[in-house]
Amino acid sequence: MSERRTLDSALANSSLTGATSIDYRPIAVMPDVRVVKIGGQSIMDRGRAALFPILEEVIAAREKGIQVVLLTGGGTRARHIYAVASELEMPVGVIATLGKYIPMQNARMLQMILAKHGGLFILPDDFEKLPLYLQLGCIPVMSGMPPFGYWEKREGDSRIPPHRTDAGVFLSAEFLGAKRAIFIKDEDGLYTDDPKKHPDATLIPRITAKELVARNLPDVVVERMVVEYLPRARWCKELQVVNGLKRGQVLAALEGQDVGTIISA
Amino acid sequence: MTELVRGDGRTHISSRLMRESLQDRDVLSQTDSDRDLRVFPDVTLVSIGGQSIFDRGKAAILPLVDELVQLKRDRGLKMVIGVGGGTRVRHTISIALDLGLPVGGMAQLVGAMEELNAILLNTLLAPHGSMPMQRDHFWDLPLYFDAGITPIAISVPPYHFWEPPPIEGAVPMHGSDFGLFQLAEVLGFGAAIYVKDEDGLYDKDPKQHADARRLPKLTLDELLAKPPETNILDEELFRTWKNARNLKKLTIINGLVRGQLTRALAGEDVGTVITK
Repeated sequence: MSERRTLDSALANSSLTGATSIDYRPIAVMPDVRVVKIGGQSIMDRGRAALFPILEEVIAAREKGIQVVLLTGGGTRARHIYAVASELEMPVGVIATLGKYIPMQNARMLQMILAKHGGLFILPDDFEKLPLYLQLGCIPVMSGMPPFGYWEKREGDSRIPPHRTDAGVFLSAEFLGAKRAIFIKDEDGLYTDDPKKHPDATLIPRITAKELVARNLPDVVVERMVVEYLPRARWCKELQVVNGLKRGQVLAALEGQDVGTIISA
Repeated sequence: MTELVRGDGRTHISSRLMRESLQDRDVLSQTDSDRDLRVFPDVTLVSIGGQSIFDRGKAAILPLVDELVQLKRDRGLKMVIGVGGGTRVRHTISIALDLGLPVGGMAQLVGAMEELNAILLNTLLAPHGSMPMQRDHFWDLPLYFDAGITPIAISVPPYHFWEPPPIEGAVPMHGSDFGLFQLAEVLGFGAAIYVKDEDGLYDKDPKQHADARRLPKLTLDELLAKPPETNILDEELFRTWKNARNLKKLTIINGLVRGQLTRALAGEDVGTVITK
């Protein structure tokens, strides 16, 4: 009988799941980078009136030497294709693949606007080139959608892909070793319910992921997967949600100030 | 008729999800139904183990390739093959863990090790009709099958730098077993066969215990309720299958025993059959 020819390593006979005996001391890849999401429905779909003032603050931060990577959300066109595809009973992996296209459009729009300030459209695999781009003073812009596509799993009773652009922003921050992922939206932060539908909802300035899960809110400002992952993160231990419609909030967040809502691990 | 809706500062396209938060549970559940569209129900996934088959070298690989060549004489048989990476993946991860690379960095690296086995397999099978399938070029599949070409798929899923933090430890959760499962699930394949070096799942590790008992048939729920001591597939595969809609049958067979793959592809119950 033939033998398995194995390379000697600490994991040679491991099932590759769960904990291992290796002393793991993770390194942060690019800890100074600010990983920032520009919301789709909340910002991009508002057009120039909302977007241009935000970009002015991003450019101001970049001129102060703050390294920024922008990731884009989808918005109403994503909702439209999700609605059509769901009706056709498409598997979640197909819907996640459809969901890649709109954030990509939004990233290309941002790049055109930011080109004269160093705006650079990058693909998911371009993280390896970020050191160069950031040293040159560029503002890399990419889609926030994770590249899972057809390999996106179904979670619960829903056809909406559970990992969308908030997850992509968080996972990017976690890979790069950034302490915080910053989400620019059109609300002051996290509320007790959707403030657009419930004017009596109140703002929650600081909360832990555990408290947030325990509250079992009918609606939350960031994707639920991100809240689930946050306690397991090695680096990205905080999510910051800021209101891009209020002048000064974006720059304050990029400078590291605690504005908006902070959700911590 | 498509309608643009304004009035709240944003420009919306009219749809069922317009203005909705996609985190709202009620909104989410409205998108569901009790079935998923099945694109290729007459196709079977064949996943060939890295450690269990390829790491054994020629003595294990050539007889299995020969069996595949015989199987390919039936031009009506539609299968997609994928391979695992085996010991080189374990070596990569053990070095990466010691270096402290982030989990996404490890996920970015490991696919290359599976690909080596895919190249080996394709080099052996190409004279009989096989081709590597690019990442998600699924829509070429009808063409492959009409031409009698067996596609060899990329098995590691494209989670790459975005591999989520694992539930436990620091090793990526989404490996080749999961990747191939998800391929079969999203395309609505009829069955999935995992070719390993044991006659299926056992109540305990048959390599260590002579009295280990094979589990010929069980349901996914039974497996999740009482997992065997050593599981020969990614845990994430079973978690994902639990939430999935399409795949109803997964078979684990022994690729070192001639004929098991042929029987499994014919729909016979060999090895361990897990149903949902």
